[in-house]
Amino acid sequence: MKRLFLISFIVLVAASAATFWSLPEQQSDRPILYWAVMPDPSKLAIREEFYAEQGYEPVELRLDAANRDLTKKMIQGVSGVGSDIVDAGGLHMQPLQNAGVLLDVTEAMAKYGATPDKTYPGAVSEMVFDGRQYSFPRNVVANAMWVNVDTFKRYGIEVPPRRWTIEDFERIGRQFVAAANPPGTKSPVYFTSYIPRKPMRRSLGASYFNETLTRCTLDDPRNIELMRRVHQWVVVDRLAPSREAEKAFDVDGSGFRLKAALLQRGNYGMLYLGRWALILLRELEPVQLAAVEPPHGGFPNIDINVGGVGVYSGSKYPDLAASFLGFLTSERYNRLVAETGDSLPPVPRFTETEEYLRPPGHENEWGAHEVFSESARYIGIGQPSSPYVLSSLTLRIEVDAYDSMIAGRITPEEAALEAAWRINREIEVTLDSNPALQGPYAEAVARQRRIDALRAAGEPVPLAWIDNPFHRDYYRHQGWLAESPEDAGKEGR
Amino acid sequence: MRASSVSRRQLGIGLLFLAPNIIGFLVFTLFPLVASFGMAFTDWDVQRHNLFRDDPLRFVGFDNFARLFTHPDFYHFLGNTFFLMLGLPAAIGGSLVAALLLTRAGKSRLAMRTALIVAGGIFVLSSMVLMWGGVESNGLLFLFGSLMATILVFGAWSGGLLYRTMFYLPHFTAGVATFVLWKKLYNPQSGPINQALAPGLDRLAAIVNGGGGWVFGWVLPAVLFGMVLAAMGWQVKRLRQKIRDGELGWLTRVAGAVGVAVPIGLIGGWLQGDGTTGWLAATVAGGGMLAATQVRTDPLWRDRVRAATGLGGELIVTMAVITVLAAVGGLAVVGVHLPAMAADGLEPPNWLGSFQWSKPAIMIMALWAAIGSNNMILYMAGLSNISPELYEAADIDGATRWQRFCHVTWPQLAPITFFIAVMSVIHGLQGGFEMARTMTGGGPAGSTTTLSYFIYMEGFETGRLGYASAVAWVLFALVFTLSFLNVKFGNRYVND
Repeated sequence: MKRLFLISFIVLVAASAATFWSLPEQQSDRPILYWAVMPDPSKLAIREEFYAEQGYEPVELRLDAANRDLTKKMIQGVSGVGSDIVDAGGLHMQPLQNAGVLLDVTEAMAKYGATPDKTYPGAVSEMVFDGRQYSFPRNVVANAMWVNVDTFKRYGIEVPPRRWTIEDFERIGRQFVAAANPPGTKSPVYFTSYIPRKPMRRSLGASYFNETLTRCTLDDPRNIELMRRVHQWVVVDRLAPSREAEKAFDVDGSGFRLKAALLQRGNYGMLYLGRWALILLRELEPVQLAAVEPPHGGFPNIDINVGGVGVYSGSKYPDLAASFLGFLTSERYNRLVAETGDSLPPVPRFTETEEYLRPPGHENEWGAHEVFSESARYIGIGQPSSPYVLSSLTLRIEVDAYDSMIAGRITPEEAALEAAWRINREIEVTLDSNPALQGPYAEAVARQRRIDALRAAGEPVPLAWIDNPFHRDYYRHQGWLAESPEDAGKEGR
Repeated sequence: MRASSVSRRQLGIGLLFLAPNIIGFLVFTLFPLVASFGMAFTDWDVQRHNLFRDDPLRFVGFDNFARLFTHPDFYHFLGNTFFLMLGLPAAIGGSLVAALLLTRAGKSRLAMRTALIVAGGIFVLSSMVLMWGGVESNGLLFLFGSLMATILVFGAWSGGLLYRTMFYLPHFTAGVATFVLWKKLYNPQSGPINQALAPGLDRLAAIVNGGGGWVFGWVLPAVLFGMVLAAMGWQVKRLRQKIRDGELGWLTRVAGAVGVAVPIGLIGGWLQGDGTTGWLAATVAGGGMLAATQVRTDPLWRDRVRAATGLGGELIVTMAVITVLAAVGGLAVVGVHLPAMAADGLEPPNWLGSFQWSKPAIMIMALWAAIGSNNMILYMAGLSNISPELYEAADIDGATRWQRFCHVTWPQLAPITFFIAVMSVIHGLQGGFEMARTMTGGGPAGSTTTLSYFIYMEGFETGRLGYASAVAWVLFALVFTLSFLNVKFGNRYVND
C-alpha cells in the first residue's frame, strides 16, 4: 500500500512537472502576449501584420478564443490571470475600467502616438475616463442601415435618402411592407431588421441619462412617445421583426450571419449593422447595396461602438502590450481594416483612400462606405455610461422592459417608466453600497440643478458641466452651449 | 507502547491517503461555504474589492437580505423557479411509468410480443398522423420510421436492455450538449419539432376556418373545462372521504383544497390575459374548495387526528392534480382563443423566443431529461425489491392490475417516492442555471431566469458578490425549509 502511495505521488509530481514544462512560456524563447479574442482570419491577419511591423523578433502573440466573454475577462482579470491585451469594446469597457483591470495607458499612448485625437471624436468617451486613457480602438463600429437596393426595386419602392426623418421611415416602411407582403404571404418580408431605438431616441432629444449621468431619463415623454411608435411599427405595422421573431431566425446564436443572408435574399429590406456586415455579405452572391443613416426626429446622429483594446493591469509585459495598441495607429493596420471590411479603421484619414471608398471587385458597395465613415466622424455619439450603474445592467433592464412591451404584458408607457424606475433604483443601490461615489454624485446632482435652472431661463450651459456625450452634441446642435468657437469641433450636421 | 506507536503510524498513513480528499474538501467546499456566508453580510463588489482596487470591505448587516426582499425581480424569478417545478410530479410519474415498463419488458416472450405489437401499432399510427400532416414530403417520415423500427426490434430482441440504456442516455449525456441539441430541435424555422407541427397546424387552421371553429372554440373548451370541474369534484370527494376516515388533519385539508386554486388562478389569468382575473378565480376556487371539504367528523377522531396528518401523501397527489388541471385548463384556454388565432393561419410556437412558450419549452425538455434519470433507476431497484408474494396474494384476492398498483406497488414504493420527491424539490429549486445560460440567457424578459441564474447574474455579471451570496443563502434557507417539511410530513414508510 505504501509503495502504491509512493508511486502515485511520484506520478503526480512527474505529471505536474510535465505540465509546467509544456506551458507555452517554457517552450518559447520570446515573451508571450495573450489576447482573448476569436482567432478568425481577420485576427490572424492582424497578428501577421503586427509581427511584420515589429520585425518578427520581440514578441509572440497568442490568441485565446476561450475567454472572450465579459464574465471571464472580469473574474480572471481581478484574480490576476487576465490576458495581456484586453478587448474592452462596448459594454466591456466600463466594468473593466471600474474594476481596475485596465491599465492607465495615457503616457504609453502618448509615446506610441495612439492618443484620443487620432481617432473619431465620438469614440473618445469610451476610451477616456477622468481625463485618463485606458484603451485605443482596433476598430470603430458606426451602426447605419444597409439597404438592399434590388429588393426595393423589386417592390417598386423608393430607396430611402441617406438622411431621412422618422416620418419618412414610417411612410416608406408601410409602403414597403404592404408591397412586399400581399395577403397570404407565409414568410414575412420586413422593412428593416431592427428599429434603432437609441439613435432615434437621441434624435428626439432624449437619452438614457440626464446631462450629468445621475438619473435615468427613459421616462422622458419623448421616449414614451417613441416607445409607442416602436410598438406600433413592430406589433401592428410589422416594419421590423420583434425580438421573438428575430430569435426565430437565429440559428448560430449571434444571428448576424443569417441576418446578412436575409438582407441578401430580400427578407429584410434593410439591415441595421456596422460596416463589418461586409465580412458576411461578401461571402454571399452580390446585391446592389446602399447605406443610410438611422432615421431622425430633428437631431441626426449615429450610434458608435468602439472596439477598444486595453492593457491588462496585471500583465507581465505592459510595454509590449502597449506597443500593440500603438500598432493600431499604423498605416499597415488601418489599411488592413479598410480592405477586410471590418468596421472602420481606427484612424479616420484611412477612410478617405480609394481602397476604402471604392474597393476593387466590390463595385456593388460603392457609395455605401462613406456613409459609415462620415457619419462616424461628424454625427457619431458614443455609449452613455453612468459611473453610478453598470452599462450591461442598464441595457438588460431596458431590453427586458422592451420585450415585455412587445409581448403585450405592459404598455409602452409602462415599459418606459418601469425601465427608468429600475435603473434609478440600481443607481441608488450603487450609491448605498459605495460611499466613495456619494460625494461626486452629490456634486453632479447640484450641477444638474444648475443646468436645469439655466435651461429653464433659456441661458447657455458651459460645456464642462455636461458629462453625457449625447447632451454635449445635442446642446451644441441646439445652440445651448456657452463655448468658445475653438471648442465647437463638430461639423456637418 | 509498541501497539500504540503502530496504531499511530497506521493512523498517519491513513490520514496521508485521505489528505488529498480532506484538503480538497476544506479548500474547495468548506472554505467557500463559510466565506460565502460571511460575504452575504458585506458589500463585496468585484468592481471595488479586488487585486487592483483596495476599497475597504464593509459589514452591512442584513442590508443585502433586506434589499433582496424588496427587489421586484426576486419574486419574479422565485415565481419562475416554482413554475418550472410544476413539472416535477409529471417527471416523477414519468420515471415511475418508465421503470414499470422497463421492468416488464423482456420478462416473458408474451410480454415481448405484446410490447412489439403495441409499439408497432403506435408506429403505424404515428406514421399515419405524420403522413396526414404532409411530413412525408421532406423525408422526416422515413427518418422517424426507420429509427423507431430499429429501436423496437433491437429493444425487443435485447430483452429491454437497449430500452434501459436509451432511457438512461439523457442522464449521462453532458447537460450543455443536450441543451444545444434541444435548442436546435426548438428552432422555430428549421427545428424538426416545428417542421413536424407546421403541416398539422395548417390543416387545423383550415378546419377551424372552414366552419369547425365552434367545435374548437366552444365544444372542446366546454369538454375540457368540464374535465377540470370533474377533477376538482374528484378531489373534493376524495378529501371528504379521507377526512371522514380520519386520515387527514385540518392543515392537510387546507393544503389539498387550496392547492387546486393555483391552476384555477393560472387558467383565469390566461383566459383574460390579466393577473386580477387570475387572483379572483384563485380566491373563488380556493374558498369554494374549502367550503366543499368542510365535513362534520366524529369528535373522538377530531382529538386524535393531528393538523398535519397525511400531509406528505396529500401534497404529492395535490401537486399531480395541479399539474393535470393546469395542462387541461391551458388546453381549454387555447381552444377558446383558437378561432381568433387561426384566422391568419396558425404558426408553430417560437419555443424559446416567446414569453409565453419559453417556460413550457424548458419544462418539456426537463421532463424528457428527468424521466430517464436516476429516479427511474431508483424506481426499478424499488420494484425489484417488492416481494412477489404480495402480488400473488393480491391475485388470489382477485385484484385488477390497477388495484395491484394502487394497493401493492405504490405503497411499497413509498420510501423511494419520498426520497425522489425530496431530491427533486432540492434540484428543482437549485436548477435552471445551465438551461438559462445555454438556451435563453434568462429571457425573454426574464421569463426563464430562475434563482440560481439570478445568483450568477448578480455575482458574476453585475459583480455584487456580497448580494449574490445573500441570494444563495436565501435559496439555501428555502431548500432547507422545504426539505424539512418534506421530512417532517412526507410519507416515507411503507404502509404509512
